Amino acid sequence: MLGKTDKNASWFVVAALGLFFIGGLLTTVAPPLLDKSWSKPFENHDPAKGPTGKLVAYTDQEMRGYRIYIREGCKYCHTQQTRTLLSDTKRSGWKGVDSPVSTPDEFVYDWRQTFGTKRTGPDLSRIGGKYNKQWHKAHFNNPRDLVPGSIMPPFPWIANNPQELDDLVAYLQTRGRAKDWRPDNDYEQ
Amino acid sequence: MATQQGSASAAALANQDIHQDTTVKWFLLGAVGYFAIVGIIALIIAAKFVWPQFLGTIPYFTYGRMRPLHVNGMLFGWLLAADMGLAYYFVPRLCGVKLWSEKLGVATSILWNIIIISAIFTLLGGYQKGFEYADLPTPVAVLVVIAWVMFGFNIFATILTRKYNQMYVSTWYLMGTILWTAFVYLTGNFATLLPGITGVNQANLNWMYTHNAVGLIFTPAGLAVAYYFIPRASNSPLYSHKLSMIGFWSLAFVYVWTGAHHMLHGPISQWLQTISIVFSVMLLIPVWAVVYNFIATMKGQWHQLGDNVSLKFLMSGTIFYLLTCFQGPMHSLRSVNAIVSKTDWIPGHAHMAVLGTFSFLAMAGVYYVIPRIFKTTLHSESLANWSFWLFLIGGLGMFTALWLGGFWQGWQWNNPSIPFIDTVVALQPVWMVRFLSGIIIFLGIVLFMFNIVSTAISGGRNASEATARS
Ligand code: HEC
Ligand code: HEM
Repeated sequence: MLGKTDKNASWFVVAALGLFFIGGLLTTVAPPLLDKSWSKPFENHDPAKGPTGKLVAYTDQEMRGYRIYIREGCKYCHTQQTRTLLSDTKRSGWKGVDSPVSTPDEFVYDWRQTFGTKRTGPDLSRIGGKYNKQWHKAHFNNPRDLVPGSIMPPFPWIANNPQELDDLVAYLQTRGRAKDWRPDNDYEQ
Repeated sequence: MATQQGSASAAALANQDIHQDTTVKWFLLGAVGYFAIVGIIALIIAAKFVWPQFLGTIPYFTYGRMRPLHVNGMLFGWLLAADMGLAYYFVPRLCGVKLWSEKLGVATSILWNIIIISAIFTLLGGYQKGFEYADLPTPVAVLVVIAWVMFGFNIFATILTRKYNQMYVSTWYLMGTILWTAFVYLTGNFATLLPGITGVNQANLNWMYTHNAVGLIFTPAGLAVAYYFIPRASNSPLYSHKLSMIGFWSLAFVYVWTGAHHMLHGPISQWLQTISIVFSVMLLIPVWAVVYNFIATMKGQWHQLGDNVSLKFLMSGTIFYLLTCFQGPMHSLRSVNAIVSKTDWIPGHAHMAVLGTFSFLAMAGVYYVIPRIFKTTLHSESLANWSFWLFLIGGLGMFTALWLGGFWQGWQWNNPSIPFIDTVVALQPVWMVRFLSGIIIFLGIVLFMFNIVSTAISGGRNASEATARS
């Protein structure tokens, strides 16, 4: 059959698209139908089954912050996924508590996926509640004031714009909060 | 060498009447220009790793906006435009007919320039859509689709009017590129935006696109170029038609399955990760088939490398292709992935693919085509040779620094007792080497552009003198 594609362009088109669509459909359309956790928001009230909590939709303010996160390309330096690696759960953890791994049902309301591919800065999947607004303000204004040696860019136009700062911090404080993973509930505002 | 050049230009003369090549000129000169402009952006973002305050307080020049501009500018402004320009050159020649419409071709090129210029302004303005490699805002992405249809129509119409019944490998690869790109691009830019497509589902579609942008757009477009120019530049026939078929059809089947290998260990179904790993390893088949074919074609011809710049680029591109596509399957394995994923290893790998492999192949084509379509000789062979060595040395410096640095970085991350910021500070020398290598590569780009533009100008001058005489 493939021999014919050499001389006949129509045969070629059929074969090239046919082979492509087998893998294409099976890896894009089929998985969300097979794995319901991709579309069912996280909810668990039974501590025996792991961390409890419930994923809630974004507020308007959090959405505005989300847009700023995309606009400034934060995701080109930060991932948002605690992978199934021990070191990830330790590094996303805080005050001696390991973070739970990220699961698909925590991201169901995500309007733009922010999993990211590059960790020039640390993972942000559990940043919600780690620092308060004052810290973020100072950090956005000039990261090196708080963390010498940091190569995160300064964002003075966000730090000095109260509306944008509130919005972005509100978004950041949602990250990882669907799961109540810190036993002392000591999340910063 | 001299005789070979002579016979090649004799052949070019014989073709002179039927091929106008206006579209080729527009596309290639535009691509070379964007290569240099976006090269400056590349240096700026590389500098920001070493001097994070550099241009830091101006929103338009912040890293998170310039990086997508670098990526999209290089991929679409330079690389894809160069591959398209070369396709407008070799498809009519392989078919033995004129390009179906030069007017449509020039219009496509104008639209392409509009796209790239809008990309510069919208990305710096912060209007990025938010998907890697699909950062262009939707209206600009719509223009890309229109331009692609115009390109595809022109090429397919040329192929349908062909004089030679049998189609050469480059023609298949190019037809594959046109068809697959259409669907891959729609998936990444539009399917991701459909209502209800969020989170992991959206990421999976995004990865189907991003991975196949390299695998089913730049790979077949680049291989089409290599399959055409390796036999041309070395004046020797392709080693095996059968092998090229194996390479092509296995690529068509295997590549699209691998998208999820970008989220190994991440929040995506385990079985999907396993499928992507299995198919990633299977990618060795198309790669080795292609590389063996190229190397075997060169058998007995290696002495030509010395004074043939195009061949130098083609052969080092082939070697980089072999290495990239050895790395790829290896770091898809869970154990290796746990170390290198998300580190600087990944840009090291990505640049060996898009710079070391596909840009090298495209540059070989541009160096070969420009003197022929402007009916003159290359402005300077020795400058071209210099550009090759600058690209090779700068490229190797950048790749090795990023691999070693990335591996070391991943090693440190896997030891959670090392604070994250220490792993940032530890990478400073690596980023410095990347910046310095970037300067060397940029000098290569400048020499390349200067040579190409000078050749075009002298060709244009010859042509106007000829018309003045007649
Ligand atoms: C050039 C890469 C880069 C970009 C772009 C970037 N960051 Fe960072 N970020 C870093 C680095 C490196 C660190 C670690 C050092 C530090 O804390 O400053 C960091 C740290 C952070 C932290 C503290 C994490 C922790 O666990 O201590 C937060 C929060 C953060 N960044 C948010 C953002 C946001 C929001 C944006 C977009 C507006 C952004 N970053 C853009 C590189 C970047
Ligand atoms: C002057 C030479 C170059 C320099 C200094 C340079 C620098 C960079 C830097 C600093 C990044 C960001 C890496 C990170 O996130 O850590 C990057 C990413 C990228 N560059 Fe370049 N670049 C150069 C040439 C090119 C060329 C010629 C191309 C394509 C034709 C290219 C395509 C890309 C792509 C696709 C990415 C994204 C990689 C990924 O997805 O991980 N670059 N480059």
